[in-house]
Amino acid sequence: MTTMTDTTTQVYQLYIRATPEQVWDAITNPETIARYFHGAQLDPGPLEVGASRRTWSPDRSRLWGDNTILECDPPRRFVHTWRSLYDDELAAEDESRVTWEIEPAQSGTSKLTLIHDKLEGAPKTAASVRGWSFILSNLKTVLETGEPFPAEE
Amino acid sequence: MIGAMDDDLVFKALADPTRRSLLDRLFARDGRTLTELEAQLEMTRFGVMKHLKVLEGAGLVVSRKRGREKLHFLNPVPIRQIHDRWISKYRAHEVSALLDLKTRLEDTA
Repeated sequence: MTTMTDTTTQVYQLYIRATPEQVWDAITNPETIARYFHGAQLDPGPLEVGASRRTWSPDRSRLWGDNTILECDPPRRFVHTWRSLYDDELAAEDESRVTWEIEPAQSGTSKLTLIHDKLEGAPKTAASVRGWSFILSNLKTVLETGEPFPAEE
Repeated sequence: MIGAMDDDLVFKALADPTRRSLLDRLFARDGRTLTELEAQLEMTRFGVMKHLKVLEGAGLVVSRKRGREKLHFLNPVPIRQIHDRWISKYRAHEVSALLDLKTRLEDTA
């Protein structure tokens, strides 16, 4: 059997009725992110390689993530590190990587692909981020209906 | 690839035991080549390719190039969208509690 199996990469893909620019805004703009990502509060900051992306709980009492931008090519490609800080066990694991790819598709839609990889040293994180399906499904709802997605509680 | 048509493609793709079995294999171990997937099925390479193409058309499988190989990944988003259509987040908890109960009862049976 070939050794090419890749069990430390997760791939998520969906089509959204929005322009690539609108999708780009949704994944980088703190106000939009709060509407589909568990109410997360992202610190405003420069969108450039090496810049940090700090994310807080909705009441800003807990740091959820402190990630670094690795690639930034609007409105096509956005890559950043990933470490979940909301849980001690997850925070102790190795850093992984999240890549967002946006491509224009037919009839005014965009294809959004999210690749979460480099999960070799983060098995618990790998299990927890299966929730990307939920997040991306919310993101699509926010972009297509313009309505804020109710916070999950 | 949008709206109601999406769902038709997803349900058609799922309405076949071989294709569901391919998804099961990717769920157990993601990111596999055609050769790996083919090795465990009583089917020609061409047959497996045809089924993978239907799954890719429905968005249930996404393939990515890795060097000279093409790896296939299970994309759970379309299934999540079907879930969201009929199971509101307020009811998701009750549904999952019932499924847990079923699993527990059937495991001890």
